[in-house]
Amino acid sequence: MISSINPSIKLVAVLIPGILLGLTYGVFTPLLYFIFMLMVTFTMTNIPILRWLKLFSPFIILALGFAWTTMLYANQTFSGGEEIFSLWAFEVTAGSFQTGVSVGLRSLCFGALSLMFILTTDSTKLMLSFMQQFKLPPKITYGILAGYRFLPVFQHELQILRQAHRVRGFSRARGIKGRLNQFRRYAIPLLANGIRKAERVSIAMESKGFTGDTDRTHYHRMTVGKRDWLFFALMVGVLIAVFALSYYLGYLQIFGKQF
Amino acid sequence: MKVLKGYQKPIIEVHNFSFSYEEVDEQRLFDGLDFKLNQNEVTLLMGPSGSGKSSLALCLNGLYPEAVEGTSSGDIFFLGENIQEYEKGELTQEIGIVFQDPESQFCMITVEDELAFTLENRKIPASDIRGRIESVLRAVGMKGFNQHKIHEFSGGQKQKIALAAVLLLEPKLLILDEPTANLDPVSSLEFIGLVEGIQREQQISVLIIEHQAEEWLRLIDRILVMGSDGLLLASNVPERLFIEERQLLEREGIFLPGKYSNRPAFRERWHWDVQSDEKVLSARGLSFSRGKQDVLKKVNMDIRGGEFVAVAGENGAGKSTLLQLLAGLLEPGEGEICMFDRPLRKWQENDLRKRMGFVFQNPEHQFITDTVYEELTFGMKLNGYAEEEMKNTAEGLMEQFYLTEHRHSNPFALSGGQKRRLSVATVLDETPDVLLFDEPTFGQDAATTVELMDYVMGLKAKGKAIIFVTHDMNILDTADRVDVLEQGKVAFSGPPDSLWQERKLLSEARLLLPARLRQKQREGEIYDLIH
Repeated sequence: MISSINPSIKLVAVLIPGILLGLTYGVFTPLLYFIFMLMVTFTMTNIPILRWLKLFSPFIILALGFAWTTMLYANQTFSGGEEIFSLWAFEVTAGSFQTGVSVGLRSLCFGALSLMFILTTDSTKLMLSFMQQFKLPPKITYGILAGYRFLPVFQHELQILRQAHRVRGFSRARGIKGRLNQFRRYAIPLLANGIRKAERVSIAMESKGFTGDTDRTHYHRMTVGKRDWLFFALMVGVLIAVFALSYYLGYLQIFGKQF
Repeated sequence: MKVLKGYQKPIIEVHNFSFSYEEVDEQRLFDGLDFKLNQNEVTLLMGPSGSGKSSLALCLNGLYPEAVEGTSSGDIFFLGENIQEYEKGELTQEIGIVFQDPESQFCMITVEDELAFTLENRKIPASDIRGRIESVLRAVGMKGFNQHKIHEFSGGQKQKIALAAVLLLEPKLLILDEPTANLDPVSSLEFIGLVEGIQREQQISVLIIEHQAEEWLRLIDRILVMGSDGLLLASNVPERLFIEERQLLEREGIFLPGKYSNRPAFRERWHWDVQSDEKVLSARGLSFSRGKQDVLKKVNMDIRGGEFVAVAGENGAGKSTLLQLLAGLLEPGEGEICMFDRPLRKWQENDLRKRMGFVFQNPEHQFITDTVYEELTFGMKLNGYAEEEMKNTAEGLMEQFYLTEHRHSNPFALSGGQKRRLSVATVLDETPDVLLFDEPTFGQDAATTVELMDYVMGLKAKGKAIIFVTHDMNILDTADRVDVLEQGKVAFSGPPDSLWQERKLLSEARLLLPARLRQKQREGEIYDLIH
């Protein structure tokens, strides 16, 4: 199961295909990898299909949007070939069509990769793994972890502030200048409180013996084992295989250059 | 039985210690302190807010002055050794502190991770960590909560986890910095009982910083009193201190526990009956839900002019929601609220706000402008009052609330008590008919509380309707009527005296008796024991 893969390794295993696919302009390569990602997502994670579809639907819309605009406004370099159809003053040629589809498929790949990572990774474990595998200093690690706790607090404070201002009759101040002032008025107490709370948390952390020293024990040992490397090999290996296959079939395009 | 180790060397010795936040030695927070804390003793440190008690705690465990770039002079010895000899992070493990604010002393999401954090700092081997977490959770009565998320806990549960985290340091001195200031009364008593048990079992030295000695009294061996000028004013055993130094304590605004005080109970201090028959606010069949959760179910309520209504109940019972609905800040799902027999939604927002005042728990949330004067005239300016009129009203308010000399100060720079006063003054610029208060005495010291109640009772005497959401049983005791909410329903509505008879309801809604009745109860128990 992917959720038990070491988060740091998982991140690298997702970043490498992400970057390399970003440089690939053909249709075949991202299509193949996207199919592979779907297989991985539905066989190796516990994410229910419906939930995944719900979260993935914005990516589909985004991908369609990207594909469509690229098709219409493709760069001269890519827009060669015969005209397939024309719309108003826009001509969609074979070249621009291909580029558009490729952009759309790549967006889908990014979407699938990020979703798989986000839905299978615990944010606390991710930070702990950064500290243990990538040697991120404990000060930064625990600083960010403490920051997680602030988000709901901020939301709650903003809501109270809105009410308090309304009670003072603040909705009566109008216009752009009023709005600007309103933002300033929210920002100051929010920040003042935020800073004060952050200071308290840091004092509390130090009072519990935290010094930022890297020499500490780890209750959750984030290890890198055979399974993690296997997963890494799978993600990157399939990518290489897909590249090789499309090269073999003559579909591989990197940076618009046909190989 | 407590084994006093007075003959041993003191756990803390403070010699001529001064501290100030600024590099320049102009305004010292505390000055020339000299005191000792003995091993296995429980010491209480009292003093008005702003006297630097919390800063002193952080000086003792060596985090100050470095953490705030302040300056200090004099010496502090821990078990005979100067604390400056200690390596960074060493002393903090010997002296554990539980802080006041339950919201901002954790850095992890789950209980287990938070407790593991302390042990990891101490470099305890990973294999030992689970066992230690289990046993400390058992000690603080939170067994089985390992995987729970801390932010979903109540204040009382959070403080228990904070105590657990500190106990994992196995400290020789435990400092509790107003740990119950933000808790409801039953949770406070629970926490105090917990500390008592742990102190007795582990024979640990404890320093408690607190405004109100009342509930702690039975475990306290000695009391230190710090004045608002940063000097140590007294150090004595409780019985003698409260009798011999009464005048001094009252002058510093420190509350004497019930049995030593000759002040009238809150209730006798303020009791006027000036209710009119005119209904100012009335709510019928009020329901409200958040998502799938029903917060309020068919609540009815009437408030008349000159009436003081207190709303009580457990955390999450829907008290604040009710207040926000009454103020028209939230829309009810069902039911209707009328002010002077006219539905709230038919009121112009402008008129509604003029006739209704709302005071928030945190005064800072209400401040909009940069100076005290602007703050007081803000509403009037919006309503187009003449300059002269605004000035007169503001002057009057500043005088009444002792803020005249701070007229040009930034509201955020005021002291806690001044902020509270200003927040009340700002809603009195016009002449509201009804005033709503959301836990206005929460986390405030005794002096500020009395002051606030004096103003509130003065307003009531002028015929204003007052609604309070509060956890303070002594304030409930002064109300004309108490409405107890339980799971979104009104479980009781009537005068406080009949509420105090309903023992079953009190325990269900996590309420206590007010101090005057508990005092009598305790005396009764002693009487029963003797006879």
